Amino acid sequence: MALFSVLQTTFLLASLSLRTYQTEVWSEPLPWAPESLKVSINSTRQCLHLQWSVHNLAYHQELKMVFQIEISRIKTSNVIWVEDYSTTVKWNQVLHWSWESKLPLECAKHFLRMRSAVDDAKTPEQRFWSNWSSWEEVDVQNSLGHEPLFVFPKDKLVEEGSNVTICYVSRSQQNNISCYLEGVRMQGEQLGPNVSMFNLNHVAFIRETGTNIYCKVDQGDVIKGVVLFVSKVLEEPKDFSCETQDLTTLNCTWDPGRDTGLLKQLSQSYTLFESFSGKKILCKHKSWCSWQVAPESQETYNFTLTAENNLRKRSVYLLFNLTHRVHPKAPFNVLFKNVSATNATMTWKVHTIGNYYTLLCQVDLYGEGKVTQHNISVRVDGEHLFGGLEPDTQYMAQVRCANANRFWKWSEWTCQNFTTAEAAPSEAPDVWRNVKSAQGDCVVTLFWKPLLKLQANGKILFYNIVIENLDRSSISKLLSIPAPANGTEVILDQCLYQIHVTANNSVGTSPASVIIVSGDPGNTEVEEERVKGTEDGFSLSWKPQPRNVTGYIVDWCDHPRDPLCDLQWKNLGPNTTSTVVSSGAFRPGVRYNFRIYGISTERVPYLLEKKTGYSQELAPSDNPQVVMSNLTSHSFTLSWKDYSTESQPSFIQGYHVYLKSKAGQCHSGWEKAVLSDDAVCCKYKIDNPKQKTFVVENLQPESFYEFLVTPYTSVGEGPHGAFTKVTTPDEYSPILIRIILPMVFCILLITIICYLKSQWMKEKCYPDIPDPYKSSVLSLIKSKENPRLTIMNIKDCVPDSIEVLNKQEGTRKSLTETESTKPTYLYLLPTETSYSGPEPCICFENFTYNQAASDSASCGHVPVPPKAPPSQLGLLTSPENLLKSLEKNYMNSLGEIPAGETSLNYVSQLASPMSGDKSSLPTNPPEPALCSEYKMQMAIPLGLASAPSSGSSSFSSITLLDEGEHYH
Amino acid sequence: LLSLQIKSQGLDKDGLKEHCRERPGAFPSKDALQRLSKREFLRTLHTMLGSILHRLTALQRDVPKAQDLETLNRAKQNIRGFRNNIHCMARLLPDSSETTEPTPAVPATSPSPTPTSDTFQRRLEGCRFLHGYHRFMHSVGQVFQEWGESPSRRRRHSPHGGLRKGVRRLQLSRRNKRLPPRGQLPR
Repeated sequence: MALFSVLQTTFLLASLSLRTYQTEVWSEPLPWAPESLKVSINSTRQCLHLQWSVHNLAYHQELKMVFQIEISRIKTSNVIWVEDYSTTVKWNQVLHWSWESKLPLECAKHFLRMRSAVDDAKTPEQRFWSNWSSWEEVDVQNSLGHEPLFVFPKDKLVEEGSNVTICYVSRSQQNNISCYLEGVRMQGEQLGPNVSMFNLNHVAFIRETGTNIYCKVDQGDVIKGVVLFVSKVLEEPKDFSCETQDLTTLNCTWDPGRDTGLLKQLSQSYTLFESFSGKKILCKHKSWCSWQVAPESQETYNFTLTAENNLRKRSVYLLFNLTHRVHPKAPFNVLFKNVSATNATMTWKVHTIGNYYTLLCQVDLYGEGKVTQHNISVRVDGEHLFGGLEPDTQYMAQVRCANANRFWKWSEWTCQNFTTAEAAPSEAPDVWRNVKSAQGDCVVTLFWKPLLKLQANGKILFYNIVIENLDRSSISKLLSIPAPANGTEVILDQCLYQIHVTANNSVGTSPASVIIVSGDPGNTEVEEERVKGTEDGFSLSWKPQPRNVTGYIVDWCDHPRDPLCDLQWKNLGPNTTSTVVSSGAFRPGVRYNFRIYGISTERVPYLLEKKTGYSQELAPSDNPQVVMSNLTSHSFTLSWKDYSTESQPSFIQGYHVYLKSKAGQCHSGWEKAVLSDDAVCCKYKIDNPKQKTFVVENLQPESFYEFLVTPYTSVGEGPHGAFTKVTTPDEYSPILIRIILPMVFCILLITIICYLKSQWMKEKCYPDIPDPYKSSVLSLIKSKENPRLTIMNIKDCVPDSIEVLNKQEGTRKSLTETESTKPTYLYLLPTETSYSGPEPCICFENFTYNQAASDSASCGHVPVPPKAPPSQLGLLTSPENLLKSLEKNYMNSLGEIPAGETSLNYVSQLASPMSGDKSSLPTNPPEPALCSEYKMQMAIPLGLASAPSSGSSSFSSITLLDEGEHYH
Repeated sequence: LLSLQIKSQGLDKDGLKEHCRERPGAFPSKDALQRLSKREFLRTLHTMLGSILHRLTALQRDVPKAQDLETLNRAKQNIRGFRNNIHCMARLLPDSSETTEPTPAVPATSPSPTPTSDTFQRRLEGCRFLHGYHRFMHSVGQVFQEWGESPSRRRRHSPHGGLRKGVRRLQLSRRNKRLPPRGQLPR
C-alpha cells in the first residue's frame, strides 16, 4: 500500500513536470495535427473543398477538435478568411470542409492552410494549437486553356437582390476590355494585370432565360460572356391541405405562391414527407400530390411539404386524422321514378367509404322560382319523395353528400332535371266579348286570356265554345278553336245567348267560363267622362250600382288607332268602385276609351259608364285644313269641318284664329297677339271645339290679309305654321261686273247678227253702185217737190267731141301684163280749140270705159245723165266715204274677181265740191258756180287693180283724181 | 425563329446583336449554290436541311416558352416537308444527265460547331446559326427562282425538261402543303 502511494506521487510529479515542459516548449508538434490536406474546387458553386485526416488516434477513439483554417487570395499574406471548424474526429476519418468564394475562383489564386487543437474535456491538457500546415495553392487559371478571354462565373444561379461578383481573365495585357450587363457597360476593379472584377449589388430579375453579361475586346471580334440566372425568392407553400375521397388515397394540395421565374430545369421541386411512416415522395406537380394510404389503416398523419430549389428550402407541416378529412365523391346514378302531376321519387347512389361510414346527403329542389332543401342519411343508396309539385312543371334536383360522423366537406353536386305530368286545367279562362250589330245580326267577338301556367297544368290544345240559345234552350252550337288562338267571332241573331268557354289540354277540360250575350247590343247612350291619366295609368271610379251586380269589367283598347285595337279587360269584384288601369302599351298623346260594365246576377253585362282620357296630353302637332269661302270686300268665311277632334293628341278646347293685316288694328272680339317671330297680329278665340266655321268681318276692301286657324288645348296650341294669304276685292267691282257683262254680251250679239246678215246690210246700206232709183235721194227730191230735179240719162247728153284712143284688137293680156296697158279713155272735149282761162262753164265728167268694160254684160248700170246738179249729188256721201268705198272695191276686186274672167270693174265715184263747208252742204244748197265739177265714175283698169302694194294703189287713186281734175 | 430567339434570349442589345451574324462557311453562299449543277444543288440542299433539322432539335433545349417551342416545331415540320419535296425533285432528274459535272466547292461541314456547355456561347451560336439558316434559305429560293425565270439556263442544265416539271410540281406541292410561298422558304 505504501508502495502504491509512492508510485502515484511519482506519476503526478512526472505529469506535472511534463505539463510544465509542454507549456514552455510551443513548437513541439501536436500528435493530432491535420495531415493529408487535399484541396479541390467546384467552379459552378465557386467552392473550395478541403479534406484532411488526423492521424495517431487510437482505435475507436473520438476526440473533439478545433481546426483553424486560413485562406489568402493572390498572395499568402493577403488573408481573406479565417474560420474555426469544430468537429469530433474519429479514428481514420477523413474530414471535409467547404468554403464558398464570392470571387470566382478562376480569377485569382487562393492559398489555404490550417492548424488544429484538441477541444475535448477528456484531455484538457491538450488545448493548444498545432503548427500551421503548409500553404495549399489553388490556381485554376492555368487550366483554363488558351482562349483570349474568359468571363466567370458560368451560369450562376442567384436570388433576386443578391450581390454577385463577375470577373474576366484576359490572356493579353495589351487588350482593352469592356464588360456589359444587358448592354450597359460596367465599371470594374482590376485584380491583376489581366484580371478585373465587377461587383453587382442587388441584382434584379430580368427574364426567365437569365441576364446576359459579356465582355469584348475593344479592337477585335472576341466576345465572351456568362448568363446569370436570377431567381425570384422561393415562397413558402400556402393552404397546404390533405383529404381523401375513398380512404385509400390522400390528395394533398397547396398554393405554390409566385413563380420563381426560372427555366423548368432550375425551378423548385416539392417533396412530401410523412413522419410516422417515414415515407417521402417527390411530387410531380407544383400544386398537388397524391399519397397512398397505408393498408394497415394508419389514422394519424404528420406531413411535411418541402419546396426546394438550388438556393432555398421552404417547409410546411400538417397533422391530421384520416377519418376527419373525408371528402366524398359526388353521388351518381340520380333517377326519378313514379313521376306524377304532383309527386316524384328521386333515387341516387353514393360511393362507399369503408364499411361503417354513414353519409349525410343534401337534396335541393328548384322549380317555379322556389328552392326546397332536404337532408337524408344514406349508407349506400339514397331515396327521397318530392310531394306537392305543380303539374307539367320542370324541376331541377341536385344532391351532395358529406361524412355524417365528422363533417369535413360536401361532395360536388350531382344534378338532374325532371318534369311532372300534366293535369286538367284548374281554372276557367277569363272571357270577354265585344258586341256589334251588323245587318240585323249580332256580331259577337269573344276574347279570352291564355291560362297561366299554374292554371293550365299542361299545354292547352284547344278551346271549346258552346253557344246556347236561352230562348230556345234546346238549340246549342259547339265550336272548337285550336290553341293558341285567343278569340273568335260568332254571328248571332237578336236572341239571348249563353256562351260557355272551356280550355282543354291532353288530360282534361277546365271549368267553363259563362257569359251572357244579349241580342240587344246595349249601345246605351252613356255620357262620356274625361279622365286624366298619368304615367302609372288611369285611375277610374264609378258609381256603385243599386241593383245586385256580381262584379264589374273595365275594357279598353291598348292600340285604339289600329283596326285590331287589342281589346283588354279587367275583372273587378262587386264591391269595387274604382281601379287603376295600367298598361305598358299606353303612349302619350293617344286617347284611350274605357267602358265600365256591371255584371248582373244573370251574368248579363250592361254598360255603366264611359271614360276617355290621355295618359299624357300633348300639344296638337297639326292645324286644321281651313277652307276659305264667301270672300267679299269686307269679310270672308273660314271652315275646317273635316278636322277630327277625336284623333288629336289632347282634348281640343277651342280654336285660335290669327289674322295679320297691314293696318294692325284689331276689331272688337279680337285681341292683339305677338307670335314667336315677334310679328303682331290679331287673335280671336273660339271657345267651342265643335264650332268649325268662322266669319272674319270688318275687313278693308282691296287689302291684304293673312290668317291661321290653330286648335288650343290644356297643354298648348298647334304650331304657328304658314299663314294663308288673302286679298279683299274692290268695293265697286261687283257692280261694274253686273253692268259690263250684259253690255258686252249685247254688242257681241249684234256683231254676230251683222256678220251673218252682212250682204243684206251691204245692199241696204252701202251698195257698191248706188242705184239712184233705189236711192232715197229721190224721195228726198220728191219731197222737196222740185220738178227740175231728175235723174239724168246718158242719151240726154250731147257730146262735144269724142276722142278714140287706139287699141289693138284681139290681144288679151294676162293680169301681169295689164300693168303696162294704158287705159282707154273717152274724153268729152269742148268744141273750142283752146282754153285760155277760167270761164263760166259746166263741166261733166264723162264715163270712161275700156273695152272689157264695154263687153261686160254684168255692167248693167246706166251712166247717170249729167242732169243732176253736182251739188245735189254731193249730198249723198262724203268724199272720205267715197274714197273708202273706192279702196274697198279695189280690194274686193283683188280678192273676188278671178284673173281672166272679169277684165273690167266699175267704180262709182262722186266728187265733193272743190270748196265749201261740208257741214253747210245740207243746209246751203250750192248755187251755180263758175265752175263746178263731178268726179268721174271710172272703170279701174286691171293693171292698176293688181298693183302689188297698197302704195301703188293709193298712187293710182291719186292719179285718177289728178286726171279728173284736169280741165278739158 | 431568328427574331424569337433574339428577343427571348436577350440578344437584342447594342454590342451584342452585332455578334449574331452567320458564321462564315457554316452555310453555302449564294454564289456557290448557283455554281452547282441541279443535281448537286438538290443533293446539297437535302443534306443541309438534314443538318438544320438536327441543329434545331438541339436548339429546343434553350427555348423556354411553350409558344416559342411550338413555332420551332412548326418550322421543323415545314423543313421536313420541304426536304421531302427536294428528295422527290432529285429523283425526277434523269439518271443519265449531269453525271459528269464536277463536284462543286461547297463546304461539307455542319452548319454550326458542336454545341458548347457554356450557355452564353451556346446562345450566340444558336443565333448565328439561325441567321445563317435564314440567309441560306433565301439564297435557295433565289436559285429556284432563277430556274423558273431562265429557260436557257434550264435548257442548258436540263435538256430533257424533267427538272422544270419538277420545279412546277414543287411549287404546287408547296402551296398544297401550306408551305411558305416562293421566296419565303421555311424559317
